[in-house]
Amino acid sequence: MNPFASFRMPRTASGRKRGRNRGRSLGLLSPLALLLVLAACTGAAATPAPTITPTPTAVATAAPTATPAPAFPVTITDDEGTTVAVAAEPQRIVSLTPAATETLFAIGAGDRVAAKVEDISPFPPEADGLPVVATYQGVDIEQIVSLKADLVIAGGLGFTPPAAVAQLRSLGIPVIVLYAESVDEALAGIDAVGLASGRAEAASALTTAMRTEFDRLAALVQSSPRPLTFYEIDATSEIYTVPAGSLYDELLRLAGADPITTDASYQISLEKLITANPAVILLGDGGYTTPADVAARPNWSGIKAVVDGNIFPVNDTLITRPGPRLVDGLRALIAALHPEVQL
Amino acid sequence: MVAASGLLLLAIALVAGIAAGSVAIAPTDTLGILARRVLGLELAPTWTVAAETIVMDLRLPRVLTAMVVGGGLAVAGAAFQGLLRNPLADPYVLGTASGAALGAAIAVLIPVRALILQFGLLHALAFIGALGAVFVVYRLSRVGSSAPMTSLLLTGYAVSSLLAAGLAMAMYLSGTGLRQIFAYLLGGFEAATWGRLAVAAPLILVAGLVILLRARSLNGMLLGEEAAAHLGIDVRRERALLLTMASLATAAAVAISGLIGFVGLVAPHVVRLLVGPNARLVLPLAALLGASLMVGADLLARLLGEIPVGVVTAVVGAPFFLALLRRAHSGYEL
Repeated sequence: MNPFASFRMPRTASGRKRGRNRGRSLGLLSPLALLLVLAACTGAAATPAPTITPTPTAVATAAPTATPAPAFPVTITDDEGTTVAVAAEPQRIVSLTPAATETLFAIGAGDRVAAKVEDISPFPPEADGLPVVATYQGVDIEQIVSLKADLVIAGGLGFTPPAAVAQLRSLGIPVIVLYAESVDEALAGIDAVGLASGRAEAASALTTAMRTEFDRLAALVQSSPRPLTFYEIDATSEIYTVPAGSLYDELLRLAGADPITTDASYQISLEKLITANPAVILLGDGGYTTPADVAARPNWSGIKAVVDGNIFPVNDTLITRPGPRLVDGLRALIAALHPEVQL
Repeated sequence: MVAASGLLLLAIALVAGIAAGSVAIAPTDTLGILARRVLGLELAPTWTVAAETIVMDLRLPRVLTAMVVGGGLAVAGAAFQGLLRNPLADPYVLGTASGAALGAAIAVLIPVRALILQFGLLHALAFIGALGAVFVVYRLSRVGSSAPMTSLLLTGYAVSSLLAAGLAMAMYLSGTGLRQIFAYLLGGFEAATWGRLAVAAPLILVAGLVILLRARSLNGMLLGEEAAAHLGIDVRRERALLLTMASLATAAAVAISGLIGFVGLVAPHVVRLLVGPNARLVLPLAALLGASLMVGADLLARLLGEIPVGVVTAVVGAPFFLALLRRAHSGYEL
């Protein structure tokens, strides 16, 4: 038998979002620092009790009663512009992003998830027992093949190594690459997962309910004062905050904040931060940084938020994960920024 | 004797490399799959389709890629060491590594994901960067019509430093792509496919073969260029040819597997310590040793949970090399 039997025809893809690809980038020199920030972004630390306990969205669990015959095969254009065909309803789905894991369980496809990516802030609990086939270090292609995966949902912007995506596709496994830089894109991602997994109706019910809740929550703080807010992703060595035009930025604005933003490097100098003089500091890194730590930092004591004691930890996982709990993230931000508002 | 043990080592590495991985497949099944698919024997499958895919489409191309890359780097390293008469020379000495790294980093910065024959922009730019760097080094180091060896080495160092600065800047600008660049710098075979091997292997094998056939010239040049000329060797032509072939093999290797250090430096030295400096023996044995070392290192890297193979080659290779050096009391020269 010819060992080159697996040689596949060339495939091409064009980047639908290519112009924005650098929007969410982390300009770092040290891989260690990158690791730290990525860990922070994916909710590495167990954030200590946020000020409010998020309630799961009601619709998230409401499975539609009558499932019409799913319209397979389906063709999906993923966030990198690749057209992906899913031949039949996938029975062994591999989720390579924490957001996709949450989404699949929320839309009632959880029983068909065969494996997942390592999740340092795991959710939902039903996914706990699933085999882990990917970590920060890489993707275990052999395991995915051995599980006979028939759909893989991967993360864009390098979250899932592009080489792994290409290899899975060359083995004939459909791979959908998703990433979100806005609330709209996050909701579109949930819909795409629904379409690919044969739960399009449940996904669309979920995203409709989420959009309604986003609108309702945003309306609550529409007329509130907008405090100048510094959202701290990490400040262990360099100071990292939210880039302009990112999902973080949009959520903070929806929550009634006037966020201090930076460029695609995610970095901000202490000089700029002190000059901006934020009225509120939100600690996305609250898992390992307390308000007292912030107040004790040299040269931070003159910042208005430190003087007034307006430093609050928030649950970074809810805010950064473009999954079904994103509304809870907005709720957590509003609770921290506008405690007077009745949610 | 040494050649036989070299072949045996390679065979053991090949079998072990295919038998082991993150998914356990029974050795009998592995042999059965290989017998059926490679030798064409009519066997009734006792294994799953997934196992066949893992052995044939994941492990076999991966092991063969490691073999070809390891062998290619070792031959290229031996050629560079002989040509430059410098024991510290390795396949990357004339800027190949920094050129490839800069090319790969630029490819990561350009958001084009098109794959042609399973090759992306990263592979193409890494290959072009590696060859481009050597070409620039060669042209810059020319004094009159010839390029003196010292000038070549120093120019290589200078150009590498410049390219490294470009790489640092590209990494600073790369954002989330940094992880991808970093993975390229560490090197590895986890992304090996038949398609990539089918393009890179002929380049490496042909270049390696040409170098092997020029063993006589390399032996002559070890005596010095004048002595070589007296032996009837067209020094300028032979040197240009050997440099081109060694650079071509290196560029093809780094394009598909990233920058894996140490094998290209150490394998030729180990062989010289064992059999002496005759290039006729050193080149083929270095290829065998380099191939076995690389497959072994990749296997170890896989068993330790996909750690970068470059780390393994250095951690295993350095102490082994040191021990050999200490045992070679007689003093060691190229």
